[in-house]
Amino acid sequence: MSPAIRQTAALARRSINSTFRFPQAWFPSLFFPLVLMAIFTASFGRSVAFIPGFPHVDGFLSFAVTGAIVQGVLISAVGAGAFFAGDIEGGFFDRLVSSPASRSAILVSRLCASVVLAAGQATFFLLIALIFGATVQGGVVGALIVIVLAALLAIPIGGLGVLLALRTGSAEAVQGMFPLFFALMFFSSTFFPRETMTGWFKIVAEINPISHLVEGMRVQVISGVNWPEAGISLAIIIGLAVLTVGGSAINLRRRLEGDS
Amino acid sequence: MTDAIVVEGLVREFKGGIRAVDGIDLHVRAGEVYGFLGPNGAGKSTTVRMLTTLLRPTGGRASVAGFDVVAEAASVRRAIGVALQDAAIDPFMTGRELLRLQAVLHAIPRHEGHARAEELLERVGLTDAADRRVGTYSGGMRRRLDLALALVHEPVVLFLDEPTTGLDPTSRVALWEEVRRLNRESGTTVFLTTQYLEEADQLAGRVGIIDGGKIVAEGTPTELKTSVGDPTLIITPADAARVADTADVLAQFGPAADGKPGSAAVRLAAGAEGIVQVVRALDEADIATAAIDLHQPTLDDVFVIKTGHRLEGDASAAPGAGRRRGRGPKVSR
Repeated sequence: MSPAIRQTAALARRSINSTFRFPQAWFPSLFFPLVLMAIFTASFGRSVAFIPGFPHVDGFLSFAVTGAIVQGVLISAVGAGAFFAGDIEGGFFDRLVSSPASRSAILVSRLCASVVLAAGQATFFLLIALIFGATVQGGVVGALIVIVLAALLAIPIGGLGVLLALRTGSAEAVQGMFPLFFALMFFSSTFFPRETMTGWFKIVAEINPISHLVEGMRVQVISGVNWPEAGISLAIIIGLAVLTVGGSAINLRRRLEGDS
Repeated sequence: MTDAIVVEGLVREFKGGIRAVDGIDLHVRAGEVYGFLGPNGAGKSTTVRMLTTLLRPTGGRASVAGFDVVAEAASVRRAIGVALQDAAIDPFMTGRELLRLQAVLHAIPRHEGHARAEELLERVGLTDAADRRVGTYSGGMRRRLDLALALVHEPVVLFLDEPTTGLDPTSRVALWEEVRRLNRESGTTVFLTTQYLEEADQLAGRVGIIDGGKIVAEGTPTELKTSVGDPTLIITPADAARVADTADVLAQFGPAADGKPGSAAVRLAAGAEGIVQVVRALDEADIATAAIDLHQPTLDDVFVIKTGHRLEGDASAAPGAGRRRGRGPKVSR
């Protein structure tokens, strides 16, 4: 194995281990989406059939689970950014940089760790939803599409977290961006279908790429395997990843050149 | 043997025109322990960050182990071991995990890396704590682990940035012993920054005093001390009425100095060796002595004379306490 790959794997494993050893780092990313999913399901579970424009679903839980997954990935990506910023603040980053370790391993390992964690999260949410009576119309293939997309989504979102960490060097500053992520999600069709929205809210949600991303995942659960929709989600993920991971790489280089 | 560290006209200017390091020159020979002494904000850490490739110089040049710190940064990183201020370690990892990770960062093969980790744990006395999370370690244990981490790849040059700041006296002495042993047994060149005069005196073969981004004095601790003046000899006669007589006798050996009440003092022009003549002269004058004190100039005196101010946060001023740096062991995740 080449040293760079070994270093990436070792650093990714370290990120995953340290995340698990610090419950505050992973607990919110599982707990809050579950709470929201439970509240929405309890509130709207019965009225879905009466809301004009709501797509035909097999229970609100089936509709809500992809929103919970995306929300969970978003929360852990903010956590990943804060974790990375903590490494910069605490000096661990200097340890990596003053060693001959591959520079890209530092960035790639963090994203790999986020991908693994997101796949685990998506699986967890799907299992919980199934236990409480949701159905995945797309079957095993549909579920796998959702898990893979959620895992890949960790790359652009994690990249954004790392980008903020590299720019600010402060875990608090990264965590402070959290409401922004949340707003981005609320002004989208993550929790409710676009068909039920009106006015400016609907316009914002239609422009928001998160809407299309979530819908591409959700359709696999509520209607069945749909490759074109999955393709749209994937394209959005790739587009965002180019922006955020590219930005991270540029900022990493800038920081390494010591001009910050 | 070539110089392990060569620095010529090194400058680091930050935004706003602040020159943290303002044109320093230094040569550290291979196998030497070099102490870089100065107060907080003198430019010690900035210098270390440039020498360890973490920060680019804005002027001058520097080479470590024969490699230029900018053009050949990768080669420098392979040759150096670095223990930065505050022992930067992930509190959620165990000592053993960190050592193994550090071996991977240096591309040491797996078996070798694991063996090396065990060897180093043993060496710094952390074998029993190896599987505990670093967050539970004491300050002294963290520093010892940090030192072990810096040694994983058997570096040619070891950088220690304030290795004992914030440590209790016992841990400090233990760390000094480890650094001495390392230098003696492996011939590792050590570049050490400190704000403690005693540390520089105890450990360093040569000391550079930095203040305001400039090196204001350099030499062995003895050279530096003798450069600022002669030792002071303080004689307390057994009979307090004979202080004046004592002072008369001492006057032959050099200029008078301030003594305590009931004693007479002289700056010994002949150095410490002159003490024999003084004792003989006092004997001839029939003056019995109650106490004889010889005060060598300390590095503190050197510091005051070269910089015009005292070294704040010195160990001798605040025993064992030192000044904790802005951020302690941080658990912010």
